[in-house]
Amino acid sequence: MLYLADTWLGDHILSIVIFLPIIAAAMLFSRTAWQPESIRRFALGISLLTLLFAVLALLIYVSDRPGIAPAEWRLVERSDWLVGEDDQVPLRIQYYVGVDGIGLPLLLLTALLTPLAIWGSFSGIQDRHREYYALMLLLHGAMLGVFCARDLLLFYVFFEFTLIPLYFLIGIWGGSQRQKAADMFFIYTLSGSMLTFAGVLFLGWKASLLPIGPDGLRVFTFELDRLYQLAADGHLSLNTQWWLFIAFFAGFAIKVPLFPLHTWLPLAHTEAPTAGSVILAAVLLKLGTYGFLRLSLPMLPEASIALAPIIGVLAVAGIIYGALAAWVQRDIKKLVAYSSVSHLGFCLLGMFSLHLAGLTGSVLYMVNHGLSTGALFLVVGMIYERYHTREMDHLGGLARQMPIMAFFLILFALSSIGLPGLNGFVSEFLVLLGTFNSEKFVLPGFKGPLGIAFAVPAASGILLGAIYMLYMVGRVLFGPVKEPGHGFDSSTGLTRDLTPREIGVLTPLAIGCILLGVYPKPAIEIMEPALDRAVLARMVPQESASLARYDLSDKHKQAVELDGAYPVDSHADASNLDAISQSDRQHRMPVHLQPEIRNPSTTRREVLR
Amino acid sequence: MAILIPLLPLAGAALVGLIGLRGLRARSHWLVILPVAASLYLAVQLYFQVQASTQACAHGVRQMFESFTIYQWMLAGPDSWLNVSFRVDPLTCVMLLTVLIVSFLVIIYSVGYMRDHHGHAERGYERFFAFLAIFVFSMCTLVLAGNFLVLYVGWELVGLSSYLLIGFYYQRPAAAAAAKKAFLVNRIGDFGFGLGILLIYYTFGTLEYANVFRMIQAGVTVEGVPLESARVTTIALLLFCGAMGKSAQLPLHVWLPDAMEGPTPVSALIHAATMVTAGVYMVARCHIIFAASPYAMWIVATIGAATALFAATIALTQFDMKRILAYSTLSQLGYMFLALGVSAFDSAIFHLFTHAFFKALLFLGAGSVMHAMAGEIDVRRFGGLRKSMPITHATFLIGGLALAGFPFLAGFWSKDEIIHAAFESDMPWLAWVAVVTAWLTAFYTFRMIYMAFYGRERLPEGVEHAHESGAWMSLPLVILSIGAIGAGYLGVTIHRGGFAGIFEPHGAFHDFLSRNFGRPEVSHEGGGHLLMYVSSLIALWGIATAWYFYRRRPTIPMAIALVAGPVYRLLYHKYYVDEVYDRVFVRPLRKVGEICYDLDRYLINGVLWLITLVPRGIGFGLRRWQQGAMQGYALGMVVGLVVVLWWMLMTT
Repeated sequence: MLYLADTWLGDHILSIVIFLPIIAAAMLFSRTAWQPESIRRFALGISLLTLLFAVLALLIYVSDRPGIAPAEWRLVERSDWLVGEDDQVPLRIQYYVGVDGIGLPLLLLTALLTPLAIWGSFSGIQDRHREYYALMLLLHGAMLGVFCARDLLLFYVFFEFTLIPLYFLIGIWGGSQRQKAADMFFIYTLSGSMLTFAGVLFLGWKASLLPIGPDGLRVFTFELDRLYQLAADGHLSLNTQWWLFIAFFAGFAIKVPLFPLHTWLPLAHTEAPTAGSVILAAVLLKLGTYGFLRLSLPMLPEASIALAPIIGVLAVAGIIYGALAAWVQRDIKKLVAYSSVSHLGFCLLGMFSLHLAGLTGSVLYMVNHGLSTGALFLVVGMIYERYHTREMDHLGGLARQMPIMAFFLILFALSSIGLPGLNGFVSEFLVLLGTFNSEKFVLPGFKGPLGIAFAVPAASGILLGAIYMLYMVGRVLFGPVKEPGHGFDSSTGLTRDLTPREIGVLTPLAIGCILLGVYPKPAIEIMEPALDRAVLARMVPQESASLARYDLSDKHKQAVELDGAYPVDSHADASNLDAISQSDRQHRMPVHLQPEIRNPSTTRREVLR
Repeated sequence: MAILIPLLPLAGAALVGLIGLRGLRARSHWLVILPVAASLYLAVQLYFQVQASTQACAHGVRQMFESFTIYQWMLAGPDSWLNVSFRVDPLTCVMLLTVLIVSFLVIIYSVGYMRDHHGHAERGYERFFAFLAIFVFSMCTLVLAGNFLVLYVGWELVGLSSYLLIGFYYQRPAAAAAAKKAFLVNRIGDFGFGLGILLIYYTFGTLEYANVFRMIQAGVTVEGVPLESARVTTIALLLFCGAMGKSAQLPLHVWLPDAMEGPTPVSALIHAATMVTAGVYMVARCHIIFAASPYAMWIVATIGAATALFAATIALTQFDMKRILAYSTLSQLGYMFLALGVSAFDSAIFHLFTHAFFKALLFLGAGSVMHAMAGEIDVRRFGGLRKSMPITHATFLIGGLALAGFPFLAGFWSKDEIIHAAFESDMPWLAWVAVVTAWLTAFYTFRMIYMAFYGRERLPEGVEHAHESGAWMSLPLVILSIGAIGAGYLGVTIHRGGFAGIFEPHGAFHDFLSRNFGRPEVSHEGGGHLLMYVSSLIALWGIATAWYFYRRRPTIPMAIALVAGPVYRLLYHKYYVDEVYDRVFVRPLRKVGEICYDLDRYLINGVLWLITLVPRGIGFGLRRWQQGAMQGYALGMVVGLVVVLWWMLMTT
């Protein structure tokens, strides 16, 4: 049987995914003679092709070859990029890409959202098409690169590179305050990531001092695997880790954005064109959370554990603060922007709970927030194109005018407030579960840094989230019809309710929301091993990791084996199973206390040995 | 098979959404009626299977109390999944049958109700049926849940259906506001409920009912340490928060009266018969947790009794038929919680069962009146409908008698069983509250009936003549009134010398449920006799008083209202609870939100502005050398980089 992973395609798929949009952007930029129509088609086609390759990458990723243990990173491609010859410490910066279960879901999210954002801006963008779509494709490639990079410097290059296209997207096609918003966005994030860059350089330099890695040579390199080894081998003192953590924090926390560094976000979101807001919310904010997860946690484990309560406090503050601030907004887009502050608080909270459920929830949260908030921005954009306002005071009762839009808006709002059955619930519940049980995730010598005191105030987010979302839905959709003075603007060629194109843009997101809500298992199964290996295994002290995760006392085992304590009529006869029909019986698992409580010997993780 | 019960209505809803819109609009009810009928059939089958297995075998029963997993849903820890699991036992069956019977009848009724007098479907007709189907799906999920997570799913989804259906007439601001209020007040309860579920996982490391209950009975936590009673009490009270929200108990009752803005079939189905009883069901389902904590039981009983009395007093002064019924629902739910709190779990479920029939009947009757009165529901605006709407009148009267606890109707058996259980418990004073409430119930029910159906015929403006509703609407009324008469006898045993041991939980209904709640020991017999006479007398006294006040001397109520002015106003304005909540919670919270936003704009951005002064100042100084050209910045970066690298290399 032929495995795609063994072919040329398998070796280069990530490079194709990353550079296809970038090359296409360069091509597009040189085609001055193209009509807007063909520019749009080209951009959409390229982004869909990228999506196709990303899905192909997923298929290759999941198709395990029998007999070969899955590596931590797959679809790896590496070659030297900047190489300096030196007798003692050669410089070796590589082009080194690969994905694991953390990067892949975000890669797919990016690959899915960008075509939709491009398709969604067909009617909204009226001038300078060539530049607009070229910048979108450029942004697309840069974002994809971040999630694939395995070299810290490469990561940083892609990370920073996303700023430039978005700066122009906001600054040129934005709203009335676009200049201010673009400047603020750029300076805010750049000043943070400058500090991050200092941290990156320091880490590389530190690594060059020591013969780490399997070859035992000293190399000035930014290869992530080597850098992870620094803390694991005890070369980074807690003090150093603190400073590095703060350096990374500056860049990532602003990007996330973590309270109180979030003030650039509402302005940038409000002023950006629809597609810009979508990409910003869905993907760019995730660069920050991804950075924390990929770099801060595994590279600086001790500092992360030490500082987790502080991050936890900020995250909880952000959840409540963002929600309350969202509630008093009059501009729909600003409301959604503040809701992002609240949601990303959940994301970081779950991450720093260092509980497997919390971490899984956190990565799922990144994807889910991308889907639902991205979709909300798209819907808001569609309303704006028709009425040229986003003020809730000027709108009302639109469910009557635009029933299809109302359906989608309600669906995504419900997804955003974590209604069970939709995606938001899964991640929110897992985050809360992880945070709540953080301190109970007991390994000998390791205790999660958060706990009930963080989970309880965070859980108020489920109430506050409902308050502002339903407030918005009620104002916009319900009540008597209210339209701004000039009414519906038909000059854009749009129908009153959504056009087929707009329905086509929203439908994939809706399907994603439902699928990830009802059956997230495939996604979780991709994420879980990676979280375990790439993050948890590096956080937990090695000596304790080899011990069993659960230490059940004999007393407890006796207790749970108590039978008949439940009021059961024991006089009856034991053969008839008619209570539950035949088909159901097949699904039934032996429920002698399900996997939560197990034999300690089976709980050891392969990776922790 | 059990899986199909919720899925069929969901498929119906999806079909309505997909094809109901095109051409088939006015026929879209079939896409919902048929799946719900099929689900009802399956539920009956399930009932017989459970019945057979409980009689026959212990093994079957053992199996029954285990949850069966449908699929793995989310990851809670290493190799440990939270599952989507169901569980079928007698309690499930009783709830499923109640929910599906009432749903089925209400859906049939809606076919007639959601049309104008010419038989044309109302605007949003297909949407209405799709939402109803979603509700049936959600409620069945809630009832069939095999663990707390799925319970929570059903719990939230019925909340969603309720939101969508209350807001069905979304163009009316009152309806939109009521929908939002219902969802949010429920979410307050869910906040506690969710924390309770998290605490259960924290304590027991599992969310499956069977495992949790087994560990509580064994008195251990997941670590094997003995379970503290404070922990159990906390869990029970947090869960009860959810029940207070969903079942509209004090102090989270405020959403239910407003929920009457929804179409009347919705009020009958969701806000009277089924969804609001989910809290009762949940407490009964978790009775092992509650029974382990006397303090929690005390709270449940007290809040139940307090709500029963509180709501009944408000119902005395209202004029909107649906609101009277809504307060009556609150009051009856209070009875159920009282029963739960005094450990009479099967009595609570019994009352839930009979209440579903007669309260759905009353609501549908009110809907029938409303349909004939062109949407008018204020009993001051019409009256004397007895002649022109005979079927509605007869069935409404039966429902009213059952609610009032008139002897030998459904409510009589179940309600007095609760009062009896309360007298037997260690909180007998609560039984006196229940007795007083019983009198009030009889009074306000017949106040409404006399005002609406008796006396000279009066019609609101714009209605030429009142006319009886069509067969789609009348048939469910008749079927429900049979239930309102007969459902009570499922809980009564007539053997052993007449009504011996009456009001003690011995009937077929209780036998069936004894697999869940255990078989209570037979207490001293004969105590029920006195209660039977007393409660019959109280019901008759209440009805007679209403007759005297509203038929014989209609000036008396007016006089009382004048004499007891402040009290009357307090009741009429529902104790001003809404106003207090608005002042104490809503507005301050909104104020905090505004402060947050101001902080954002002024404080944080101000600090940032101050910080930017530093580079600005430097820039001002450096302006001489760099005229803002791009090369300048590039140069700066390169210089900086060189310095850093140089420093690094020097240190090595």
